[in-house]
Amino acid sequence: MSQAHALSLVGLTKRYGSFTAVNDVSLDVAQGQFLTLLGPSGSGKTTILMAIAGFVAPSAGAILLDGREITPLPPEKRDFGMVFQGYALFPHMTVAENLAFPLRVRGMERAERDTKIRATLDLVQLSQFAERRPSQLSGGQQQRVALARALVFEPNLLLLDEPLSALDKKLRAELQDELKTLHRRIGRTFINVTHDQEEAMSLSDTVAILNHGKLIQIGAPDALYDRPRTRFVAGFLGKSNMISGRIAERIGATARVSVGATTLTQRLATGATGDTVLLSLRPERIALLGDGETAENMVEGHVSAWSYLGAGHSLTVETTDLGSLRLTLPTWRAPFAPAEGLTLRLGWPSDAAAPVEDDGDE
Amino acid sequence: MTGGYGPGPFARTLAWMAVIYLVLPITIVIPVSFTDQRFLSLPRDGLSLRHYENLITSAPWLSAIGQSAMIAVVSTLLAVIAGTLCAIGCWRIGNRTTEWLRALMLLPLIIPSIVYAVGLYRYFGALDLLGTFLGVVLAHGVTGIPYVVITVSAALSSFDPRLEQAARGMGASLSQTLRWVILPRIAPGIASGAIFAFIHSWDELVMVLFIASRSIVTLPRKIWDGINENADPTMAVVAVLLIVLTLSLLLLDGALRKRRDA
Amino acid sequence: MSSAVLTTRAAVPAPVPRHFANAGWYALILPAFLLMTAIYVAPILQVLAISVTEPTTGLDNYERLLTNAGVQRAIVTTLRIGLITTAIALLLGYVLAYVVALASPAAQRWWLLAVLVPLWISVLVRAFAWVTLLRRQGLVNQGLMNAGIIDAPLALVWNELGIVIGMVHYMVPYAVLPMLASMREIDPRLLAAARGLGASRFTVFRRVFFPLSAPGLAASGVLVFIFSLGFYITPAILGGGRTLMAAEWIKMQILDIVRWGMGAMLATVLVIAILTTLAVFSRVVNLKRLFGAGA
Repeated sequence: MSQAHALSLVGLTKRYGSFTAVNDVSLDVAQGQFLTLLGPSGSGKTTILMAIAGFVAPSAGAILLDGREITPLPPEKRDFGMVFQGYALFPHMTVAENLAFPLRVRGMERAERDTKIRATLDLVQLSQFAERRPSQLSGGQQQRVALARALVFEPNLLLLDEPLSALDKKLRAELQDELKTLHRRIGRTFINVTHDQEEAMSLSDTVAILNHGKLIQIGAPDALYDRPRTRFVAGFLGKSNMISGRIAERIGATARVSVGATTLTQRLATGATGDTVLLSLRPERIALLGDGETAENMVEGHVSAWSYLGAGHSLTVETTDLGSLRLTLPTWRAPFAPAEGLTLRLGWPSDAAAPVEDDGDE
Repeated sequence: MTGGYGPGPFARTLAWMAVIYLVLPITIVIPVSFTDQRFLSLPRDGLSLRHYENLITSAPWLSAIGQSAMIAVVSTLLAVIAGTLCAIGCWRIGNRTTEWLRALMLLPLIIPSIVYAVGLYRYFGALDLLGTFLGVVLAHGVTGIPYVVITVSAALSSFDPRLEQAARGMGASLSQTLRWVILPRIAPGIASGAIFAFIHSWDELVMVLFIASRSIVTLPRKIWDGINENADPTMAVVAVLLIVLTLSLLLLDGALRKRRDA
Repeated sequence: MSSAVLTTRAAVPAPVPRHFANAGWYALILPAFLLMTAIYVAPILQVLAISVTEPTTGLDNYERLLTNAGVQRAIVTTLRIGLITTAIALLLGYVLAYVVALASPAAQRWWLLAVLVPLWISVLVRAFAWVTLLRRQGLVNQGLMNAGIIDAPLALVWNELGIVIGMVHYMVPYAVLPMLASMREIDPRLLAAARGLGASRFTVFRRVFFPLSAPGLAASGVLVFIFSLGFYITPAILGGGRTLMAAEWIKMQILDIVRWGMGAMLATVLVIAILTTLAVFSRVVNLKRLFGAGA
């Protein structure tokens, strides 16, 4: 039998007085998926997670587990494992006692309990710490205990509230890998909340982007990055150059877009002549053109700022019609010493930029 | 901590005088309790334990100590149970209503006990509780609740509410969460509250003067009568014993706090 | 196997109506609430009721406030002693709190012990100690006479002086705690900075420390004053029945001359005075913190 479960939110809304924390959010999490709710603080992502866990009662909408409504169930009846922000380990219990807790409340026999605890501690490589108190463990170890405690009772779902936010950068990367491996090995459905877009993209199969309580876009990380639906998504998932222009002429699936005196060639599925369009152009999609090289779109400009990033260079180039364009170049592709005022020719193909909706948010 | 700014000699001298004023008069009962005289005075020709002997062979004093202890234990139990549960409930719900409820629980600290005692005199008269053990226990128990509410609320304020959420999220019922997660964490706070509720009942006089009549003579009542009638050195012995008891309870509380903070 | 049991068990949940979610927690409050209302609030409300119903319905008892010299004297005495006590207790308490706040952590513990232990020692024991010391044949008079400083014993107790000595003794710890709490919030670097800028010790105190500690001073003042209004035991013992403060006057009305209406009236006035004082000063006095610091 399958241990993974599917979860759906239907029109989930949470109001606190006149403030709407979550506004009509609907989404589906398939069995065994790793979904991340991503958004800046105040976007409602944590409220959604707390509503799924049963700690927050929605003002409207429903939460379905495998198609059955669970909205009115109290948290202790949902059988969801949860890793809390700051872990919420019981400080007066040892690691083993912390893990035993959810099994004890289910009335499990001692022998069976011990077997499960040992197996779960093995899974997170903490077997030798069973008798320690949480205060005697490092941050990373505490995080793993929290994870083990949330998994030991084989919950329907695993909910993670900013699970890695308290850790330093290096440890975070390490635990990201562990979390991903764990998800693959046990095949359960994970729902994670974070404000860190790198963490979201590296961990999950599906990312749901939230802003001001609304679901803005949901999809696979690469799809979100390459084809952001709105200006907010483009800006939140990494850096982007925003170019605003007007469709001058349409030729099949491409359009001629005029921006000041410059005309760009852009692949564009919708929009008629005369419409304004907003394009998001990722810095790494812009190429430096050598003498005689050409591209579908070409502009000239001079360097106004640069920084060395180790693996590459980041340059800001001032152009007449497109304003400042930011581009990143791998170090080996920038065989020159950048200097202020240096004139460069830039180019990109017609499918490099993505048209986005202007939602007023950067 | 003082950042190179300490109290000057003037402040220091005054503070020492204040401390002497606070502590010295209390300690005076110690030498008086060892006096060899028959009246309240310092020992003249030598120390004597005759007044200690007097106390432990005096049936009225022993009975007063016994009654006070019984009343204090039972009323502390009442205050601890009601106060702890109330503090936990208020902490967990945490809205406007519970703010008011917590303020209600503190009333006995603010309203003079003479007012309450007068009210009880009439109220218990109608309920036939005057001069009964139950009556005194109820009065001391209910006025002991604020001490427990305060100490338990303080213990809860440093309790991470996510622990409770975590327990519920893992399937624990309310009573399981209480027994396995909340109570073990706040046990030192409950113990502190119990100590203060006990001292409160053990020392309480005003209510007893009104509602205990002749049948219940607690230790404070006996001391009161003693001061007003014949103040002999046995009273000093009782005072010393009370000081020792209070000090040990406070030391116990300090030890509990240290363990809680550790 | 066990995972199958767990998952199927959870798959058929019994919905719980949402408005019962907090019911369990409210049930925890219930015992204390019932006790407090039935055993505490009800008797006090009865006192308020008696003051307007006995011996006749109406405000007759309150009218006596304007005409009865006895009750007026009790009120004036209470206010006078209360104010004197508050002033002295604040002065001593302030100095103590100041020294404690600036002491090293180790020294702080000893100072605090000296302040807190008297707080928890029985009022009766303390009153008894004062009687032992201050009465005519008491240790102070004997000592002074033996030393030849005085010829006849001084009247140190069973008068207002005795009451004030005993009450201040009781109130100083209560005065220290709120002031200490507010002084501890003063950033010590401010004081060091002021000295570094060339201010004398006294100027630092007057211009920096004192203004920052003023809220605590006000809180202590309110606390000590309202406590002293309804104080019974110490004035009764050290006043020797000659100086009647409100609490003892109430006791006399009810136990000795059985005039319930008058006793209940002054009790009501006392409660109203205390609650009004608290309400007026509720901005400076955080009650919860006040009592939290004491326990």
